[in-house]
Amino acid sequence: MKQDFIKFPFFLTVRPFQAFWDLKFEGRGKRRVAAVILFLLVLNVTLQQQFAGFLVNYADPRYLNSLKDIAYTILPFFLFCIANWAITTLMDGEGTFTQIVLSTAYALTPLVVINLPLTFISRYITQEEVAFYVLINGIATVWFLFLLFVGNMTVHQYTAGKTVVTLLLTVIAMGIAVFLATLAYSMGMQIYWFIYDVYRELIFR
Amino acid sequence: MNKWLVSVLAAVLAFTGAAGPASAFSAPYESYTYNYYLDAVPIPAPYLPDRAVTGRDLGVGDFRSPNDLFVAKDGTLYILDSGNARIIVLDPGWKPVRVIGSFMRDGREDRLLNPGGIHVTENGLIYVADTDNRRVVVLDGEGRFVRLLENPQSDILPPNFIFNPLKLTVDSAGRVYVVSRGAFEGIMQFDSDGTFIGYVGTIHVRQSIFDKIWLRLATREQRARMQLYIPTEFSNLDIDDKDFIYATNIDTYSDELIKRLNPSGQDVLKRFGYYPVRGDVRYRNFGSSAGPSMFVDIKYLGGGMYTGLDAKRGRLFTYNDEGDLLYVFGALGTQVGTFTVPVAVERQGMDILVLDRAKSNITVFKPTRFGRLVNEATRLHYDGYSTAAVALWREVLALNSNYDAAYIGIGKSLLLEKRNEEAMEYFKLGMKRRDYSVAFKRYRKEVLQAQFGPVMSAIVALVAAWLAFRVFRRRRMRRVVNHEARLH
Repeated sequence: MKQDFIKFPFFLTVRPFQAFWDLKFEGRGKRRVAAVILFLLVLNVTLQQQFAGFLVNYADPRYLNSLKDIAYTILPFFLFCIANWAITTLMDGEGTFTQIVLSTAYALTPLVVINLPLTFISRYITQEEVAFYVLINGIATVWFLFLLFVGNMTVHQYTAGKTVVTLLLTVIAMGIAVFLATLAYSMGMQIYWFIYDVYRELIFR
Repeated sequence: MNKWLVSVLAAVLAFTGAAGPASAFSAPYESYTYNYYLDAVPIPAPYLPDRAVTGRDLGVGDFRSPNDLFVAKDGTLYILDSGNARIIVLDPGWKPVRVIGSFMRDGREDRLLNPGGIHVTENGLIYVADTDNRRVVVLDGEGRFVRLLENPQSDILPPNFIFNPLKLTVDSAGRVYVVSRGAFEGIMQFDSDGTFIGYVGTIHVRQSIFDKIWLRLATREQRARMQLYIPTEFSNLDIDDKDFIYATNIDTYSDELIKRLNPSGQDVLKRFGYYPVRGDVRYRNFGSSAGPSMFVDIKYLGGGMYTGLDAKRGRLFTYNDEGDLLYVFGALGTQVGTFTVPVAVERQGMDILVLDRAKSNITVFKPTRFGRLVNEATRLHYDGYSTAAVALWREVLALNSNYDAAYIGIGKSLLLEKRNEEAMEYFKLGMKRRDYSVAFKRYRKEVLQAQFGPVMSAIVALVAAWLAFRVFRRRRMRRVVNHEARLH
């Protein structure tokens, strides 16, 4: 129980190759844990904007919105998963969608583990120490990207080169998905306003 | 009944009329400042137009395209009425003292020709940039000719150099600084006996990365036909009491539209405000009156404050010595208090004067209570009386609780008084991270020093307790093990 739910994500951050293997073939990834990591990430973003120290907090307090934080965290996450799934299906990836979601969520662990305490510490630093804050933040991000890379490689059983190509293609696919969504949204709105205008014309006759 | 109503109305009218100082009228412009978030925040008008004075009002006949204005220390006004080629001297009460039209030079009568700028030194010498005559004329207070500065000679000047002085200023040692048309190298500096020394304050040309790539790609023929990369010229200048020169230039892509040049010509302007000292930071890029501010004149107001005159949108931008934007007011228009072609800004006592070339008049702005408080508080702080400034800043905040400069001012005073925790709060309100950090560092040190004893004792006690516990446990364990091994 404790082994799978708490120790495994930490184990994954330090022994990614073995852990992602276990995640794929031993079924050690848990959806509930992935959900908790995602939730903690959202919490992290919200707390960082609200409570990070004045010297590092550049969020405009007039536009703080936790719902937005949720949307800007969860949506890109699933966008990445779907785009990755779409690309890897075409490129002989062996991972299932569940495995992609699990590996991506587990890869977020360093962001959560490092940034949550860092937000607290940022309240007690001066301008000169901001450099360390940025550095540690950067380490968390690089670590996350590394885990994402290893996770993708293991889950799809790719070579390193192919993983890099796939990840780049995933980013492009994300862009295309956003473009299509915007297009669909704008067209949908036009149809909506057209119908609305016709309706208005009719009732004013 | 009717009579009663009339009397009430009359009383009301009388009351509003009596209580109608300038501040009761709304200004023909919106006053604002920029906050940390790049919003132009409306503020109470710091200055209100009092009157617009024409030449006819003064009884000297209408001005024709006046180009410059100068107010001496004692309040005497010098108006450079360029189109009429004359200098009008007014006493501090705006009574005409003298009109200098022509002067005698070498026994012949000589006149100015479309002069661009005027400066009067403390000992009463009048320096005029006589643009179209290509010379600087020095006259004494009575309008008698003293000497000329013309045809500067130097190795660094090209042989075909044409000296077209536009604006000038003179420092306390008698050195003359001249902005000359086509002198891209900077401000021309003449020593007290009129010889050209060199340029100060060169504006550097910066090529963008795209320019460089484009140049690399272009052929030699194309390159030859391309526009030259020439630095922009200075547009105007002023000098403060420490002989530092405030100079403006019109450069679309620069953040350094205002420079403060020290005597060796380096730019030492402090730019610690939210935004660069460049006038408007939010403006349209296309359409009418688009683009960055176009400073045509600058005036050092004292107390570290200076005002830049933006001809593009007819606004006056006042900054403090740290480069914080204090207030912006003025507009283009036809009402009193607005400008058509503003060319010069001056200060007479507390008033601000703006000379308009097209309207041929001088608009006099009087400070409101808000403007007076801000100016006075800034001045006190600059002179080192921060504590005295706090009371004024609090009054400013009572008038406008959105005024960031007041929070910063109070914060700085608290910082000097070592009230670090309160200072932190004010710097946070004023969004000043740099100063906040200083206050916070001190505060943290204070707290650490105060709490060091108890915290350290607690830690030592805890470690000791833990060690004791381990020793105790190990002893007991050993006893149990020994017991099980039947050693006892």
